[in-house]
Amino acid sequence: MEEAQNIVGQISGADIATAAKYLAAGFVMAIGSIGSAIGEGIVAAHALDGMARQPEMEGALLRTMVLGQAITESTGIYSLVVAIVLLFVV
Amino acid sequence: MHLEWGKVVKSLNWTFIFNLVNFAILLYLLKRLLFKPAIEYLDRRREQVATRMETTRKNEEQAKKLVAERMEALQTAYEQSRRIVETARVQAEEIIGQGKDDAKKEVEHILENAQAQIDQERTEAGQELRRSYAEIAVLGASRVLGREVNLEDHRRLLDDLLSELEEDTLRMKL
Amino acid sequence: MLEHLGEKLILHVSLGSFSFSFDILTVIMSWIVIIVLVVVALILRRGLGQDIEEKPSRTQAILESLINLLKGQLTSSFSSDKLAKELFPFVSTMFMFVLVSNWLSVIPYCESPTKDLNVTLSLALLVFVMSQLLAVRMKGGMKYLKGFVEPYPFMLPLNIVSEIAKPISHSFRLFGNTFGGAILITVVSAKFAPVLVPAVLNAFYGLFVGAIQAFVFAILTVAYINVAVES
Repeated sequence: MEEAQNIVGQISGADIATAAKYLAAGFVMAIGSIGSAIGEGIVAAHALDGMARQPEMEGALLRTMVLGQAITESTGIYSLVVAIVLLFVV
Repeated sequence: MHLEWGKVVKSLNWTFIFNLVNFAILLYLLKRLLFKPAIEYLDRRREQVATRMETTRKNEEQAKKLVAERMEALQTAYEQSRRIVETARVQAEEIIGQGKDDAKKEVEHILENAQAQIDQERTEAGQELRRSYAEIAVLGASRVLGREVNLEDHRRLLDDLLSELEEDTLRMKL
Repeated sequence: MLEHLGEKLILHVSLGSFSFSFDILTVIMSWIVIIVLVVVALILRRGLGQDIEEKPSRTQAILESLINLLKGQLTSSFSSDKLAKELFPFVSTMFMFVLVSNWLSVIPYCESPTKDLNVTLSLALLVFVMSQLLAVRMKGGMKYLKGFVEPYPFMLPLNIVSEIAKPISHSFRLFGNTFGGAILITVVSAKFAPVLVPAVLNAFYGLFVGAIQAFVFAILTVAYINVAVES
């Protein structure tokens, strides 16, 4: 009991900040990637739809799909950058 | 001049400028070494292929035109020859027909002539005969009568007689 | 290996009163990329027969298919043929530089120059400045400025922000992908599986994602310039 109290007494503000940093980085990646993942899935699904309907348009559709996914992915990348900033800069 | 470890995101520094310079150098080098000659080469070849295709197309067109011309000439010659043969045939038929007509006319003519000659000769012969009969009769009668018979008087008489005779005897005889 | 995770070597140079600092590894790696690209260009260039009548050699076939690929996939998206012809070397160089940079991380003791935010941000800002200059040149100054108050004047801040967001998202996308992949590979190979698994991760993050991101970077370059010039 005393030991536990000692450990609690040893926790400083910096430790709490570090813990919060890692926690925040984890949450940022976990929550931030949901949206972009769903969005990319929708883009791929609709592109596949279009390809199945018009196979001769495959090249143009693939290019547009990759472009759309890249743009959709930016939010996920932003969360990744924020996580990196949290982990290595803050 | 010293090295140290720095944070990733925080450190915006001269690398930025250096990278721009690097990229500009790379762009210049690649443009000079690769893209410009390659694109020039490709353009030149595309141009040449286009020229060749154009030439080939023209040649083909010309050949087609020539073939068409030849065919037309051949057709014309064929038709002309057929027309000539047709004309010749018609002419031949005409000539043959005319020849036949001419021959027929000639024959008729000859026959007419012959008929006319026959008629004339018969008439002449009849007259000759009649004269001979009259003379013979007068001679005979003078001999029978023993005297000179007036030839002029009797000849008329005999002529009448002979005319009657001619009607049956001479016609029958001839 | 892990103590310098997320850090990089910075060289501080001071010449008299003027001092500057830069990332020595990044600069050296980008030189390597340039050398690789120039060597490849020289090899391909040598295969280019000067005689048109000749049967194309093997390297020439590679060069032609490369150029046709770049033309068909990247610059064919330009709305005007003149612009496509003019910007073909720029966009192709951008693509190949980013591609080789991304692939460089596969080689041991090498790292991608695109792992550094300086590099991606400089490229993205170059594209940004270029698109704005081209827009001014194609549309004229007045029409270019008028484009910021369309469709309504109160949209001005929004338009400006959307323009500024382009180079930021452009650069951070490439940086995040390369850097995230590199961190992941480092952490996995240091903590969990030092053999075999890093090879697969390198193949995925280094080669596959690297190629996709290079393509995306180049095609976004085309798209940004196209949008700036058109609208």
